Amino acid sequence: MRNVLTLTLALGLSVCFAQNKQLLYGFDEVPQSLMLNPGTKVPQKKHFGIPFLSQLHINGGSSGVSVFDIFGESNVDINTRIRNKIFELKNSDFFTATEQLEIINFGWRANNEIYFSGGIYQELDFISYFPRDLAILAWEGNRDYLDYPFNLGEISATADLLTVYHFGANKQLTKKLTAGLRVKLYSSMLSARSVDNQGTFVTTLGGPDSPNIYEHTVTNANVTLNTSGIASLDGMDSSEIPGEIIGRAFFGGNFGLGVDLGATYDINNRLSASASLIDVGMIFHGKDAETYEATGTYTLDGIELIFPPLSAGQPTLPYYDNLEDELEEEIPIDTITSGYTQFRPLKVNAALKYSFGKTVGKGAECDCRNMGGGIDRAQAVGAQFYSIFRPKGPQMAGTLFYYRRLWDFLAAKATYTVDSYSYSNVGLGMVTDLGKFNFYIAADNLLHYGNLAKAKSVSLQLGFNIKIDEE
Amino acid sequence: MKKNLLKPLTVIFLCFVAFACVKDTDFDQAEEIALTPVVELDLIYFNIEAGEFYDEVNNIPIPTLTDTTEIRFLDDTEIQESLRRADFFFKFTNSIPRNFQVDFQFLSEQNDTTYATQTSVAEGSVQTPVITEFEEIIEGDDILQVTMANRIVVSVTIPDANPDLEGTLNLQSKTTYYLEIRDRE
Repeated sequence: MRNVLTLTLALGLSVCFAQNKQLLYGFDEVPQSLMLNPGTKVPQKKHFGIPFLSQLHINGGSSGVSVFDIFGESNVDINTRIRNKIFELKNSDFFTATEQLEIINFGWRANNEIYFSGGIYQELDFISYFPRDLAILAWEGNRDYLDYPFNLGEISATADLLTVYHFGANKQLTKKLTAGLRVKLYSSMLSARSVDNQGTFVTTLGGPDSPNIYEHTVTNANVTLNTSGIASLDGMDSSEIPGEIIGRAFFGGNFGLGVDLGATYDINNRLSASASLIDVGMIFHGKDAETYEATGTYTLDGIELIFPPLSAGQPTLPYYDNLEDELEEEIPIDTITSGYTQFRPLKVNAALKYSFGKTVGKGAECDCRNMGGGIDRAQAVGAQFYSIFRPKGPQMAGTLFYYRRLWDFLAAKATYTVDSYSYSNVGLGMVTDLGKFNFYIAADNLLHYGNLAKAKSVSLQLGFNIKIDEE
Repeated sequence: MKKNLLKPLTVIFLCFVAFACVKDTDFDQAEEIALTPVVELDLIYFNIEAGEFYDEVNNIPIPTLTDTTEIRFLDDTEIQESLRRADFFFKFTNSIPRNFQVDFQFLSEQNDTTYATQTSVAEGSVQTPVITEFEEIIEGDDILQVTMANRIVVSVTIPDANPDLEGTLNLQSKTTYYLEIRDRE
């Protein structure tokens, strides 16, 4: 595991346990900051990401538990530690994994001063909330939980594998306002989701009218699983599956449409505000879609023997089959093949930035062509807000940052972030322009870098671009 | 100058890689992870009227009533691997003025008896039913016998019966399954 992790980092994959890319947001020297705000200020004239290397971003993590909590060297038995964690975690805690691989990313400033950009990236997005009650039931059983209603509604998870084709435009509309828009075409390869479930399972001691010792009751169950692109894989040879899925990346799967919106506004030449909405869109799952739905209420009492008078050789009554039939009748599992629509997880970014220090680059204070507009300065401080809409509501993060342009070719940004994972997330990002070659590296959760196992969220992102600046 | 910068950047990057490590962890512990749920589940129940022990057509007593049910999950591979102990609990409420012998026989798919147990039920009366409780704790090697079965045969034997006999023999039962679920290669 240790070797794998080190190797992963060495290969330049980014291991990031937070969806939030707070280091790249507003870090305009990095062309990919345009992906986080299509209305950011674009300093360069052209950029071209090195295919497959311009941004690679893998993250996975959990809000309530770290690898060290479970696998740390300890005198306490691992099963005791897991049990303690199950009881410590809340049903709002979650496990998440996101991976993005930029295949192509390019942009250029046209003669009409519009910066066009486009590209393709592939994304995997997974989130599962912690189904605490079901974890307790699996870990402990029901003996010590008589009369306790286990909540089936805690099941809440989504998983998506998709390719995104995008094209956008960005323009400085006035001296103060820069705005941008990006259109996205989603091509979904695989998708599964089970959200908005409900129902309870309870074991109670049977009352005087009860036929047996216990009553095991499922009440008002309504559990749904939407899938698309999965049913057709069933029965396919396992060697064919990767080819089939890759084929869908290129317009073979289910489609969706979305937009990214963003703007930056210079309040005065030191203070600037920006905001963006990313992935305002939906995917229409019509092809190869299957929904499974279990609904109903049922009480299990065990099997009643009626001792029917049987002659020799006559088979007994099929009690067990009857019980199964009864269960299927009371809580039927329906398979629905009609399509469904799925909203993309909307991301909101916002920031307020105060610049100070000596001026750099274009737009000096006496620049008559830039009256009232923002001026690039060597230092800045500010605050950022990030939110992503998840099945159980938005997850938010707040960031304070310090930006410093060290030299013409090197800029750095430090962040302190408070989010669902921790209150102690310090990050550092650096970007350098070596001639036309642009390289950036951004690492999150530096305080935990000495031992990643103790971190609930860690990130390292890096990428390479060719960037051609304004002459 | 610019070219020289590649070196420090490489150093910084390598530092990130070198310092990022996972320490003080022991992933071999994963092999020790075991779920140990204790599951309470209803088993069988019945109500036998005293009259069922007498064949009024032929005017002869029926000394033994027998019935069989599948308990299909009992010989599942998962249960065979994970079940450590099973406590069978039977509660008889007898208002028939006779004592009974009740036999429980576990049968495999191939009709072999893999495990058997029996108990006697005290006699009661219609006015004052008598409760007899019987618990059979199965663990160790006996568990293997029980998990080879997927059917239970219940036989209720009355010492003697006549058409005037009144009352009911009621059974309620449950099993407590002690499981130990681990990843087996």
